[in-house]
Amino acid sequence: MIEVVKAGLETSVQDFPGRYGFWEQGFPPSGPFDMWSFRLANLLVGNAPDVAGLEIQFLGPTLRFERETVIALTGATMAPKLDGAPIPQWESVAVPAGAVLETGFARIGARAYLAVAGGIETAPVLGSRSTFHMAGVGGMEGHAIEDGQHLPLGACAKDGTPGRRVKEDCRPPIPKENSWQIEVVAGPNDDWIDEAGQRMFLESDWTLQARSNRTGFRLTGPEWTFAARATDKGPEHGEHPSNILDHGYPVGAVNLCGQTPIILVNDGPSAGGFINPYTVPSAAFWKLAQSKPNDTYRFHLVSVTEAQAARRAIDALCTESSLEDAR
Amino acid sequence: MIYDEPRFTPGGDRFIEMELGDELNFDLNFLVHALTARVREADFDGIIELLPNMASIVISYDPDRIGYDDVVRKIGGIFASLGSLEDVELPSPLYTFPVLYFDHVTRACWEDYCARIVEKEYDPDLMVRLNKLESRAQLARIHSGTEYWVAALGFYPGLASLIALDPRCRLTAPKYNPPRTWTPKGTLGYGGSVTCLYPARTPGGYQIIGHSPVPVVDLEQRLRAFRDRLALLKPGDRVRFVPVGREEYDHVEAQVESGEYEHQVAAYAKFSIRAYHAWLETLDMSIRF
Repeated sequence: MIEVVKAGLETSVQDFPGRYGFWEQGFPPSGPFDMWSFRLANLLVGNAPDVAGLEIQFLGPTLRFERETVIALTGATMAPKLDGAPIPQWESVAVPAGAVLETGFARIGARAYLAVAGGIETAPVLGSRSTFHMAGVGGMEGHAIEDGQHLPLGACAKDGTPGRRVKEDCRPPIPKENSWQIEVVAGPNDDWIDEAGQRMFLESDWTLQARSNRTGFRLTGPEWTFAARATDKGPEHGEHPSNILDHGYPVGAVNLCGQTPIILVNDGPSAGGFINPYTVPSAAFWKLAQSKPNDTYRFHLVSVTEAQAARRAIDALCTESSLEDAR
Repeated sequence: MIYDEPRFTPGGDRFIEMELGDELNFDLNFLVHALTARVREADFDGIIELLPNMASIVISYDPDRIGYDDVVRKIGGIFASLGSLEDVELPSPLYTFPVLYFDHVTRACWEDYCARIVEKEYDPDLMVRLNKLESRAQLARIHSGTEYWVAALGFYPGLASLIALDPRCRLTAPKYNPPRTWTPKGTLGYGGSVTCLYPARTPGGYQIIGHSPVPVVDLEQRLRAFRDRLALLKPGDRVRFVPVGREEYDHVEAQVESGEYEHQVAAYAKFSIRAYHAWLETLDMSIRF
């Protein structure tokens, strides 16, 4: 078991890739936001890449390990300490029974991932341990972890080996600056935006609002303009140009709600009545996950083929070949 | 309109939106669900999930197992081979929900909204006025006088958009402006031409006209109907509302609380669009319940 001494801002149990098969009833996939860092954390401690671990957001937890184990912390740069002594990230670390891990604030990036040998073994819900806390599904009693809880640990198939490290060039390159280039694919509803509006979207800086979470990332930027399809339409589509007859929402959709684009992410709604002119492909999700409120985005148009190639390139890095001995 | 050829557009690297038309039309929605059922039966490798809605389907796929063009070709092929929609019959379980119309729970919610946010007309009275009805009693009669079709689910887990199958029972309602900050779980809502049962305590914008003690979502899976699911309804199911008095409402509520409640469902029921169209022809459209 792991005792939660301090839960941190919003720390949740997630597994890879999340909860699939219930989307048509409105259950989103959930799962780790930065799946690149998440999978590498698992590999470091000898787990399969899909095993449940913790997603840490902005301010991390303090945890007491009730038994000896091996852990790895990846993703955002924190200042982790084990029993008061600094420990490295992107590296597997032996934890004696009773040791206390403090993770502190995210310094570079926003989300860190903690893997524990054997994984976190909360009860799966609909085939996944991932937390979807808006509706209270999965994880620890449906929500982010809380002070005083005890997280069950799985038995180790094989003991994790301490002193394994992720090669520098196999990690997501989380920048120190606060500006990001985020890939987007045009569609499904780019034909509702006129040419000027499309140019505006791709040539403007967009600021991430503080009101952003695992459901959606709200952006501030210039005004959108619309194509004829958005203004000349049947009443069932709704009044505003950004309204459309209810339809399904891809994960990653840039959902235009009036004039406010909201990127729908892992816990986002499955459907609704707004257009999705662009979609952020899965290979760019780690960038969203590691950005902070007030960071700026510049969107870069890619094709479906390019987006799929980028996804494959990341998948290829989430393997044993990215690990090396630390010494 | 219903398009002659479906339109496919990408949603990033692992989703495709397939639009079959661009209007709110029962036949179009039935086509969406008929096609969804056929694609599921075909069980193509690499198709992960299907998200049918009013006039479109979002398809999620694994690009390592199937390419964009192959998804379009395979699903387009199934569309082309559908044949006459009239011949399609789909399984369509029919669920019955007891409802206390104009109840104490939603009245308290409306009173709270008026006190804290802005004064507004009592929702049932607003619906009576806008739909030119005689009374609240007639509103309940019309609302409970038809089966409803689960046209889609989404926005919130287990939230179903229900469309009246008897055209004489179609009502319209504006949405709250600003929206409510909370709506009781089990509230019966009406917005646009869609009715719904709120699966959980959530914000909301539909007019609220009744309450059912019977849940459509059960995260603890206590009730028998939820043994293999967290949310009851699926697209293409049907729903009927039965008005009950306070005594029956309290009885059902107690049964739900104790975990004994058994949802009323005709699980064997099917829906034939040919039979539905034939039935529509027999209706006297001048009758209002």
